Amino acid sequence: MVNLRDDELSRIAQRLNREPTLVELHAFDAAWSEHCSYKSSRRFLRGLPTTGSRVVLGPGEDAGILHLGTHEGERYGIVVAHESHNHPSQVVPFEGAATGIGGIVRDVLCMGAEVIAVADALRFGTDRDNIARGVVDGVGSYGNAIGVPNLAGDVYFETGFDENVLVNVVALGVVKESEIIHSYVPKDGAGWQIVLVGKATDPSGFGGASFSSLTLDARDAELNKGAVQVPDPFFKNVLMRASYRVFATLRELRIPAAFKDLGAGGIVGCSSEITAHGGYGATIDLDAVNVAVDGMPPEVIAVGETQERLIWALPPEIVPEILRIYNDEFTLPEVAYNACATVIGKVTEAPRYMLRYRGNVVMDVESNFLAGSVYDELPYTETIRHQSADDLAAVDVAELLPRVLAHRDVCSREPLYRRYDAVVRGATVLARGAADAGVLAPVPGSLLGVALAVAGNPRYGKIDAKYAAQQAVVEAMRRVVAVGARPIGLTDCLNFGNPRKPEQFGEFVAAIDGLALASTALDLPFVSGNVSLYNETSVGEAVPGSAIVACVGAIEDIGRVVTPGLKTPASALLWIGSRELTAGGSVLGELLGIDGSLPAIDYDGERAAAGIVAEAIARRVVRACRVVSDGGMLTAIARLAFDAMLAGRCVGAELDFGNPFCETGGFVCEIEETSWIDLTGVLRVGSTIAQSDLVVNGSRFGVAELYRVWSQPLQELYP
Amino acid sequence: MSARIAVPVFPGTNSEGETVRLLRDCGGDAELVHWSRADTLHNYDAFVLPGGFAYEDRVRAGAIAAHDRAMDAVIEAAVRGKLVLGICNGAQILLEAGLVPGTGSLRRPTAAFTRNGPVPHFVCRHVYMKLRIAPARCAVTASLPEGAVVPAWAAHAEGRLAATPEHLREILGGDHLAFVYAHADGRVDEAAVPNGSAFGCAGLVNRMGNVLAIMPHPERDGRNFTHLDRCEGENVLAPSGGAVLFRSFVEALS
Repeated sequence: MVNLRDDELSRIAQRLNREPTLVELHAFDAAWSEHCSYKSSRRFLRGLPTTGSRVVLGPGEDAGILHLGTHEGERYGIVVAHESHNHPSQVVPFEGAATGIGGIVRDVLCMGAEVIAVADALRFGTDRDNIARGVVDGVGSYGNAIGVPNLAGDVYFETGFDENVLVNVVALGVVKESEIIHSYVPKDGAGWQIVLVGKATDPSGFGGASFSSLTLDARDAELNKGAVQVPDPFFKNVLMRASYRVFATLRELRIPAAFKDLGAGGIVGCSSEITAHGGYGATIDLDAVNVAVDGMPPEVIAVGETQERLIWALPPEIVPEILRIYNDEFTLPEVAYNACATVIGKVTEAPRYMLRYRGNVVMDVESNFLAGSVYDELPYTETIRHQSADDLAAVDVAELLPRVLAHRDVCSREPLYRRYDAVVRGATVLARGAADAGVLAPVPGSLLGVALAVAGNPRYGKIDAKYAAQQAVVEAMRRVVAVGARPIGLTDCLNFGNPRKPEQFGEFVAAIDGLALASTALDLPFVSGNVSLYNETSVGEAVPGSAIVACVGAIEDIGRVVTPGLKTPASALLWIGSRELTAGGSVLGELLGIDGSLPAIDYDGERAAAGIVAEAIARRVVRACRVVSDGGMLTAIARLAFDAMLAGRCVGAELDFGNPFCETGGFVCEIEETSWIDLTGVLRVGSTIAQSDLVVNGSRFGVAELYRVWSQPLQELYP
Repeated sequence: MSARIAVPVFPGTNSEGETVRLLRDCGGDAELVHWSRADTLHNYDAFVLPGGFAYEDRVRAGAIAAHDRAMDAVIEAAVRGKLVLGICNGAQILLEAGLVPGTGSLRRPTAAFTRNGPVPHFVCRHVYMKLRIAPARCAVTASLPEGAVVPAWAAHAEGRLAATPEHLREILGGDHLAFVYAHADGRVDEAAVPNGSAFGCAGLVNRMGNVLAIMPHPERDGRNFTHLDRCEGENVLAPSGGAVLFRSFVEALS
């Protein structure tokens, strides 16, 4: 099935001056799919800020790179990539999610980096337990096997995702900035050889890019299963380690190279981009491709999306050594059937992309025409959502606290993430769940740390996509600040509905607007990202608009991160940041049936609050800190009390506050009693106490009992 | 010349980097030995088998690796009394190789670390393992105090000790139960066990006391920065916590 439109088909025929071959049709189908070409979204993505002093490499290659810091005179960069694997995960949850991790890991690997962490942002429906389980097991099984810790993530459950889950994945890598490998052939690259490395090409994943650019129709789900790729984390484990060895060899011999993941569009997609982006063409011999089954049609070999493959472009003199490393030293042919590294073509000066198969030329197009620009100027409409502003009556804290803590968006995620390896590599400082952001030490022997958090609240997304996008940036930033890191950059994945429906496309456009606003105001650039459209149900409704944002933070001294849980009785508990009493989009609003107004976003206030917290952490007066997020300030304090209890410390909290469930943002900090007086813009909400209790407006709760309430709900789904 | 420690890497191993680094930082002369160099394993004096999923955990975790030629050298060394420590997948391999508990014959296992219970899922959880044998019973633990409690991370889907009742009796009778899961204060109860393991077993030792197989990873809680709340001294990069077991391993070689 080819999904090119009539006008696209005639444009191709016109440019070629002939009818396209079957291989060309499939190649253009992949290259011009929304998934690969960003044809309807690109004009808006240009509005995102992508530059800054920390940006080593902005969007455009397989991953972005941010400057982390310097150790022993070497500058280190953090490579970050962010993608969705939504449609595959709906159809075959385990494999769909696993290949999501597999793909994002290759995007980071191919920059010459060592992969150090993954993260997952999951949006599930409320009635598809098999999907919610399959996705988590897929994410876990892949990351666990390749030995990359899961550092951060979040999960929300909304009926709007019943028929279209969102599986967003992030990966981090570390690389010396002097040793980055790019995804395009550099100058003087004509005559280089193109080496395909990885699993034998098979018929799996044929039509994947095109499939991801369609509305998922339940009736076609069975048919589309063939478009989902098959994950092989065991093979990937070996492939990654072999590639690290290749990196070392290239560095030692100072040999330039280009390296790129085979994702959407398979061999054609990858080999055309790696050459075209350097201004070259390529000649590829499909007969040289190692295949898993005989008799595959050339279009399947050419654009099929078999997993665990990458492409190198290399100067010919180094090729034998690289093949030796993959095939002999790391024995790829013994690790998976017919897997290997093999030369499949060469880089040509002339910018034409040619495929040969059994002596015939089956594809011959201008490189730029294939990999270059297709545009869809789709119309969009702006939707102004209804905004009521119900008054918030005083709430009954004693009645609400257990309900808030047990809410599906607030309760403990541990049953889910304990299926993920959080600590492989032995570099984890704050594991997932221990704090608002995960922290690890990426450079052995160095005090440098990197923090990672994701955010994107679909309860806001249901109300106002632009607002939700802004909040996603703000919250991801806060989370990184709360552990003591300096936020240095962002990635985004925009998960929206059908761009051919103006009102749904309007949400997407509004969300980019929101991201740009927040990014500019907070001076945090986007260095990579991804767009996933056509996320809608069988009756044509879009999923809750989901701009999911990841924030990377830099830490100079991992010994200074804020550790989990309340520390000592008789400290002050402070709320730092915006404190509007609104219920719009909050868990409280949902529980009370209030359609309240959304808290205003005040960027000056956000910067100031983050600055106060960062300074207090730097002065080492912050004993504990959490962001105010789902479930509000009291939830944040309860979680600090839980962590204290789990660490065996008998510390609780006592506070008086009219409505402690509002989710207006900011931070709660435990600070030494004498050390907070000179902090401006803070509100003292209570104190820590020497009992393992929470005392709120005179009502007393045992921390252990609240912990039971909070930790139970997801254990049924993830036993 | 100091004793040379090999950290063998099988296809699918994933914890080799942190294992070799921590061994070195604990004073060990350790190096990775890749599967393509398995024939050089005879040149080493001690072995630490790291975690991962060797050969994709096909059949049973560790079952294929136990028959790998790399294990020929490890088995030969173990029989001759050289020190061998297996962690997680490394432990599974040692059981499959029949070295631990060692109550049967080689490559005819009498016990296995198998599918977790009661829920058969991967579990990643911070744990403590308590030394249940006299420290000198096992060369690797000889410099630990009696009843030592070692912090570590359990991270496995197949860590439940299982064997026939007869073989389980042999494990107890032969004093093979080296480590059990415990709480930080050394209390032992079911809540401390992450995987339904028989006897709450976290580690087994062979009869001679030179081969130790442990399921949890001490190297993942092996530096001050992995447990800032329990920081020992000023240097956050320094080995501490679970590194105590690696130190003991290195000391046993000197």
